[in-house]
Amino acid sequence: MPKALDRVLDALDVETFFLCDTREEGVELGLKLMKELGFDDVDVVFCEQGGPGVRIRLRAYLSRPGSDYPWTGQHDAGEAKTGD
Amino acid sequence: MTEKVGGVPVQGDGSTSARPCGPKKVMMVPLDPVHDVGLKLIRRALSERGHQVVLLPPDLPPEEVVQKAAEIRPDCLLVSRTISYGTAELLARFLDLLDTAGLRDKMKVAVGGMSIRPELAQEMGFDAGFGPDTTVDDAVAFVENLEFQSTRARRKLSKPDLTEGFSYRFKDEEIGRLCDEIARELLNWAKERTSPGVLRAEIREQMEKARTEGRLAEVSRLRDEYARLTGDEILRFYREGTPVSHTRPLTASKARTFFDLEKRAGDGEDLVRPASADVMAERVVFVQYGTGCPLMDSYHILLSQSWGARGVVHFDPSWGARQEGLLEGAWSHQHDGTVITLENLNLIKKSILPWTLWQVRAHRGLNTPETVVLAALAGADLTKVNMVYGSLAAGTDPERLCVDGVKCLELAARFGLPYDVVTNEELAGVPAAKAFAGMLVVMTAGVLLGGRPILQPLFAHSPEAMIGGIMDEDYVDFNAAKMMVLADIVDAPIWPGAPVGFLTQSQDRVQSSTMTALHAALALGLGARAVTIASSDEAYAGGPITGASRVDSLKSVAAALRFLGKTKITPSPRAASLGKKLREDILNTLKSAVAAGSFVGALYAGVFGSREDGAYPGRAGRGTVTKRS
Repeated sequence: MPKALDRVLDALDVETFFLCDTREEGVELGLKLMKELGFDDVDVVFCEQGGPGVRIRLRAYLSRPGSDYPWTGQHDAGEAKTGD
Repeated sequence: MTEKVGGVPVQGDGSTSARPCGPKKVMMVPLDPVHDVGLKLIRRALSERGHQVVLLPPDLPPEEVVQKAAEIRPDCLLVSRTISYGTAELLARFLDLLDTAGLRDKMKVAVGGMSIRPELAQEMGFDAGFGPDTTVDDAVAFVENLEFQSTRARRKLSKPDLTEGFSYRFKDEEIGRLCDEIARELLNWAKERTSPGVLRAEIREQMEKARTEGRLAEVSRLRDEYARLTGDEILRFYREGTPVSHTRPLTASKARTFFDLEKRAGDGEDLVRPASADVMAERVVFVQYGTGCPLMDSYHILLSQSWGARGVVHFDPSWGARQEGLLEGAWSHQHDGTVITLENLNLIKKSILPWTLWQVRAHRGLNTPETVVLAALAGADLTKVNMVYGSLAAGTDPERLCVDGVKCLELAARFGLPYDVVTNEELAGVPAAKAFAGMLVVMTAGVLLGGRPILQPLFAHSPEAMIGGIMDEDYVDFNAAKMMVLADIVDAPIWPGAPVGFLTQSQDRVQSSTMTALHAALALGLGARAVTIASSDEAYAGGPITGASRVDSLKSVAAALRFLGKTKITPSPRAASLGKKLREDILNTLKSAVAAGSFVGALYAGVFGSREDGAYPGRAGRGTVTKRS
């Protein structure tokens, strides 16, 4: 059965509230969470501290523009990056 | 006119049509202590359509409801349940009782309510389930044995003409006279001059015509001629096939996917459009695309149209403006901006629906006339031209861009392409009055050449406003002043951008979407013919814009438009005084331009934006203008 992640158009956002003491700690927790979930291309889109922690939005890019998109159902074997 | 949308016969305005079946006997009952408002709304609609409706009171035991159903023998039984506690058990028991009484097969039974999910209702054995997004029309369709599609937009859409009904007559005669004088001088000046950009546009047009007519030897000859007019990197592509930095050919699998996508888009009639998109039907909201990949762009375009975008704007890479010449073929680009080629545009077009306006921008660089040619060949509806912005804030030499820009105005008029005259030099710090003066001159030149320009004021938190504290109190008055002053000066369409709310959005998607929505609703309420909006990723620089973030901002704009309806936001009296000052400063800028003796000279001299303001005459293409032979 195809993986659900293969049907994600571009990125997966995770939003939550972390209980923590500083914004930096929140960012650290966020990135750790995304790694624990198995994502590599991760970033913090938004993080704001207030009261007991941070409101955070994390993002994992699964398909950046121009990459080999799993949702096409076809793979570009041997596709090489050129012109860089 | 009546037609079927999602199975429900609807009028063009979205209302349901005449009843397609005989009168039905309908029994309705809230299996709930108190809530029956939804059923009352449905009762009214069904009664108005001639159906016989019996609404039982709330809080009856299921046994009594079944007994009533045995007496009444309805064609349809509509049950509602608002509270969620014990819902599944109650509804299951109710259906059992109905079955035991031998009634279940004798009538259609549906359940609706805040806690109802259609899939769950059908699993339990109901014929239909109506959740919180259900409309009265959905319930009517169920009773009348029509297919129903809850949560679908139903408004019939057609492609708007943003310039229709505008005369371009100056109401402010003093400003009009000055604009006319400056614009005529610009056109006369440009008439005697040409550039590699102008020549390439002419060659590209001939080349594509020859290609269409199968004159391949001529194509090859013209291609060589074209290549001789390009810069180093583009020349290498034409001579050796070397790709330009950060680009790669679109792969076969991606190219094939366009055909699936084209099938999915179809003529748009079967495209699922959420109900929230309906409120956007009478407004024109543009979104910008340019992820770098034509295929990713196409999906963004398709989903944006579904959620109510009525127009899409093509963003190309910034280097495309600085290089002499454009590529050929289908390419993806690893950074922001999708490469402009006829092939890329033709692929992207597959996702653009018949009612959607498509803009391909040609406003700032060394390939502006050719971009207008490609836009027209690809079937775009609009382009974008402004020599002032392009030469003072986007790096192109003023003399060069004025020659190329006038050619753009001529081409746009010949191809029947309206264009906006953008004033994003404000983002560099140029005061609105100077930017508007330049915009009005370019508009006037465009009209003199037979074109249909659209004014595009910045509708945002501009540096001028930040430095001067003009928007410290609110984001309404200064933006409103801009709209009012332009409307008082000339009878021309206004399309604020680009995008509205620029520099007010943050990385928080809720705040960002809200700011976008408020700016869009304000501008449209103030008479804007269209607006261009950002996605909720506008202030996020860590990666490409996502499809979901486009939905966020479109949903927010729809919510703001639904909230305001035809109600207008009234600016404070301060807007009028800001507008008065703007008008005086526009007038003074135009007088200074006349005193400078030439439009191009005025650009170099800083009349339309000085170095102190933050505007620097660009260098790309300097020294490339020649006299026409």
